[in-house]
Amino acid sequence: MPSVAPWGAADREVPLVAREALEAPYVLLSFQHPEVARSARAGQFVMIKPSASSDPLLRRPFSVLHADPAADTFTLFVKPVGPGSAGLAALRVGERARCLGPLGRPFRAPSPERDALLVAGGYGIAPFLLLCRELGREGRSARVFYGGRRTADLQLRERFAELGVPLVAATEDGSLGHAGRVTEALEAHLDGASRPSELLACGPDAMLHAVARIAARRGLPAQVSLDPWMGCGVGTCLGCVVRTQEADAPRPRYRCACTEGPVFDAASVLWPGESESFARARGAAV
Amino acid sequence: MSRLAVEFAGIRFKNPLIAASGTFGYGVELAGVVALHKLGGFVSKGLYLQPRDGCPTPRIAETPSGLLNAIGLQGVGVKAFVAEVLPQLRDCGTQVLVNVCGDTVEEYAEVTRVIDGAPGVAGVEINISCPNVKKGGIAFGGDPVMTREVVSAVRRVTRLPVIPKLSPNVTDIALFAKVCEEAGADGLSCINTLLGLAVDVERRRPKLAFGTGGLSGPAIRPVAVRMAWQAARAVKIPVFGIGGIASAADALEFLIAGCRAVQVGTANFADPCLYDALLAGLLDYLDRHGLQHIDEVVGTLQYPGGDA
Repeated sequence: MPSVAPWGAADREVPLVAREALEAPYVLLSFQHPEVARSARAGQFVMIKPSASSDPLLRRPFSVLHADPAADTFTLFVKPVGPGSAGLAALRVGERARCLGPLGRPFRAPSPERDALLVAGGYGIAPFLLLCRELGREGRSARVFYGGRRTADLQLRERFAELGVPLVAATEDGSLGHAGRVTEALEAHLDGASRPSELLACGPDAMLHAVARIAARRGLPAQVSLDPWMGCGVGTCLGCVVRTQEADAPRPRYRCACTEGPVFDAASVLWPGESESFARARGAAV
Repeated sequence: MSRLAVEFAGIRFKNPLIAASGTFGYGVELAGVVALHKLGGFVSKGLYLQPRDGCPTPRIAETPSGLLNAIGLQGVGVKAFVAEVLPQLRDCGTQVLVNVCGDTVEEYAEVTRVIDGAPGVAGVEINISCPNVKKGGIAFGGDPVMTREVVSAVRRVTRLPVIPKLSPNVTDIALFAKVCEEAGADGLSCINTLLGLAVDVERRRPKLAFGTGGLSGPAIRPVAVRMAWQAARAVKIPVFGIGGIASAADALEFLIAGCRAVQVGTANFADPCLYDALLAGLLDYLDRHGLQHIDEVVGTLQYPGGDA
């Protein structure tokens, strides 16, 4: 039996119990893992690796897409992009993986006075299905802005429709929804919105930075889920740190994305190319 | 577990498996996930007098069977460690060693003084081999004169066992091992990471923001076994073998080559719960070879042509 951490995580060898191929190369993988199934929150992740082989050496972080406490299973949304994700995507039902989770700080529910606007780029959609369910349980709704290069990058759209969550699509090739960037569709919505909003975003760094700029310009709170290279997932390797400047801190510091994130207050993140003094001024203004 | 108990530099470990510095945080991060009391001990992340930011990002890159890192010894500083972390480790059931760093010889001694007065510390590992800092680290461990100075300075201010961690980025590690022994070291840790460079070919830049980094993991194991073997032959004090250990067989390579105990490093990231399998594997080895105690394995390498 694995021991379970006070924070609810456990390391287990878990069987793959279901595999659903979506439009290639995307795949949904469901594993049996009671602790993740019962306690994973939107934005949390697992560190997972299919074999004991030393190549690739490290586990990879994946956001939890769905958790089913009744079946003790959880589901990952995987796009094979490198050896870690490819090895995982190649697993067959019954084969096992080493899996530690749930890990990290989840998204905070936006304040009730604000509309929850979820902004996803590509497989950054992963945490938002769980988030929509969490908000739904509190009788709250959300709106999803989902962008990618082409229609095939926008998987799982119908799952949001099933939850009754409105979804605005954006594709750079114009094949679906708004032709252009997802942040343009977001801004068009914000221009016409009658209620204040909070932005919750997950996707490529450039998109997250754009969301952070929009939030700062419009004085909106924003949470971003970052995805740096991660070594351990538990705060021991210090490889995944993010430079942040909190409003009440005298100077910037490095925070672990695995234990103090992956969800950060967008205003606190020092984005690539930003000066520390600029971030400090912004932190003081928000 | 007494068949695996070892004495090293005056420290009694319940087994020869110690988690290596920089791969196990301050021992509290994995509480509940890893049963600390199953380990022989662990070595803290390197500590300076003051808190330290470390290197810019990216800090890590995966390489074939290896991990290249330039963390730059980010840490809370020795005073916060003593005040806030050590009390949490009071009943952890394993030996706590502290990895001591410094920009100057005086800082190494000062950090050691703080540790020497703190309860619950079994020994001091001296970091004279970190490749990812501009001062201290390998700047000291790559120079026998500076090595002697740092080890002597630390020796003078503590009665705790003193264990310098040696760099593999030298031509003759035996020379450094002897210098440490003469300067009063009680044991040695061999080896720290190998200096490496990984290139992002699209951007034509190093993959790590610091530039070069330290290579660890199974990729370095044969180099590590060779250097630990050379060091162990050169001195009478015991040696921790370190470098790419992920299985009982890996640990046995170092023990057979002459190391009294081993440290497990990068494998803590890939599989934090590997200690059960390692311990079972060591006991299985003793059974298969008709041995009573792990000490009977140490230094039994039958090297071709004899041990010159």
